[in-house]
Amino acid sequence: MQRDTLVSFEGVEKRFGGFVAVQKMDFDIRKGEFLAIMGSSGCGKTTTLRMLAGLEAPSAGVIRLAGQPINHLPTWSRDTPMVWQSLALFPFLNVRENVEFALKMRGVGKADRRRRAEQWLERMQILEFAERDISQLSGGQRQRVALARSLVVEPEILLLDEPLSALDAALKVRMQSVLKNLQRETGITFVYVTHSQSEAFSMADRVVIMSRGKIEQIGTPQEIYRTPATRFVAEFLGSSNIFTGQVKAAAGKSVTLEGPAGTFTLAAADLATPPAVGQKVSLTVLDARTRLAATAPAGAFNKVPVRMIGEEFVGATATIYLETAQGQEIRVQKSQDDLESLPLQVGKDYVAFWPHEDGHLVAEA
Amino acid sequence: MRRSLSLYGLTFSLPLLVWQLLFFVFPLVFLVALSFWTVKNFAMRPDFDTVNWVTMYGRGVFWQAYGTTFAFALAAAVLTSLLAFPCSYAIAFKLSEAARRWAVFLMVIPFFTSYLVRIYSWQIFLSDAGIVNVLLGKVGLGPFPLLNTAGATMVGYLTLNFPLVVLLQLFSLVFIDRTLVEAAHNLRCGRIRTVFAVIVPSARVGLVIAALFAFILSFGDFVSPIYLGGGKATTLSILITDTTKSGQQWPRAAVIALTMIGTLLVVAFVAVRFAYKGRSK
Repeated sequence: MQRDTLVSFEGVEKRFGGFVAVQKMDFDIRKGEFLAIMGSSGCGKTTTLRMLAGLEAPSAGVIRLAGQPINHLPTWSRDTPMVWQSLALFPFLNVRENVEFALKMRGVGKADRRRRAEQWLERMQILEFAERDISQLSGGQRQRVALARSLVVEPEILLLDEPLSALDAALKVRMQSVLKNLQRETGITFVYVTHSQSEAFSMADRVVIMSRGKIEQIGTPQEIYRTPATRFVAEFLGSSNIFTGQVKAAAGKSVTLEGPAGTFTLAAADLATPPAVGQKVSLTVLDARTRLAATAPAGAFNKVPVRMIGEEFVGATATIYLETAQGQEIRVQKSQDDLESLPLQVGKDYVAFWPHEDGHLVAEA
Repeated sequence: MRRSLSLYGLTFSLPLLVWQLLFFVFPLVFLVALSFWTVKNFAMRPDFDTVNWVTMYGRGVFWQAYGTTFAFALAAAVLTSLLAFPCSYAIAFKLSEAARRWAVFLMVIPFFTSYLVRIYSWQIFLSDAGIVNVLLGKVGLGPFPLLNTAGATMVGYLTLNFPLVVLLQLFSLVFIDRTLVEAAHNLRCGRIRTVFAVIVPSARVGLVIAALFAFILSFGDFVSPIYLGGGKATTLSILITDTTKSGQQWPRAAVIALTMIGTLLVVAFVAVRFAYKGRSK
């Protein structure tokens, strides 16, 4: 589903003095997609967004919007409205005046301004609060005002900087579906910065994962979840067990590596360049694909002897925490039904195993 | 809430209470009482007569002075606010943290010297053979009568108010949420427009309070209208001294003073109401 490119970052870099906030990056934002930029704090995700908004100037490289370079344009000459983490609503204006603000700045007439603002207030289901002060609104209502204020000019792209981080968990989930529906209905490109994997994965068409000013991986949530590109991504998502070792044999797509936890075979190594013998690599296998048995099963499986150290139940699924002889933590995620056949006891020995084709190879940084 | 006062609490609150009673409430009450006394043969007599109020309020010269004083103070408040704003804006938004500290320090320096001394030094600049006229003479202009004019009075008021107004404005400007400014820019509000659309409304309370201080200081000032204005335009403070000098009319001076206090109370009330109008944050 390749679509037209709306924004492209070409060799964009941002330095603050000697500190490199964003390393040279190249990536495209497609027209009409919901793109999430995810990473822990200080990874450069907000700086990337602010460069696109025109609030920071790139130290190098070119940012194009619809093909045109926009580096030289101040933020007020770009059509890149942003929703702030603090929302940045104007406390001295009421709800309606906040929403009308951008239209007023564009010289839209009073009657037209009012009509268009009301359309968006209605769409965001806050028309009844139009004459209220911002201080009289709840967190969720403020969120809707902030969205209406940015969307009233019907931009091609909307930038969102962790807008949901101040909300409580239930409201957060509700606003996620509001955002997702809004994006689908309007077809406006959303660029959404967040540190939350659940927010990124539940809403975004594609996710950009950043670490220390560098892009680690770009892909759909499924791609990233199933095949993390780097060890960082696998660790950041925390949904895979990771085994490090040296390549012992590599033949076509089959790779054997040897590490402290044992010797493992991969059926379908999909690294861009095939690994050389002796190279240090990591194998990842999803918690949910890792199986558990009381004794070693027969057949072509990768097997690791483990001891159980704890368990955690989250509704229908449970995570079993285990430890290898070397002290490495292994997680196995199973449904309650799967677990009934296996008596679990902390301190007891088990064998964790998975088929060769469920492993995935990542390069070691 | 505890009703009984402890000795500890009294130790700290009593001196303040006594001070306030002795030097604020009592003189004020006395001033009110004084305004009803009468003067016969240059001697004051305790009395309860409304003659002073009737006389003062019936005089054209009183209302003229009142109008002059009010207009001067209002002009000084507006002028100081307008001149101070670019200065405090620059300090708040354009200077680095360190430079801002220095700017605040520089704004405090004028308070080191007496206001009277600063006003006298303006005479050296503004007199007919003063520095300004000499410099203008070099380019073939003037001499202009600068001293003993309303303009000179205004210069005096600015000298009095400017540093304080800058500091008060500054304190409200530095606390403005910078993301509001960014958000305005992001919504297509240019630099200059943002000043009026976002910064001024955000700092409204501080800006009004600063102007109020300028008004209060100028309204009661005696030094500038007499030493720079030459007493040509009679303000209420000048009228008070004239009244006390002519025939020991302290009770009539009390009427003027009470009118001034009442005026300032009303102005302060209106200004604060305006500052906090509508929006409660």
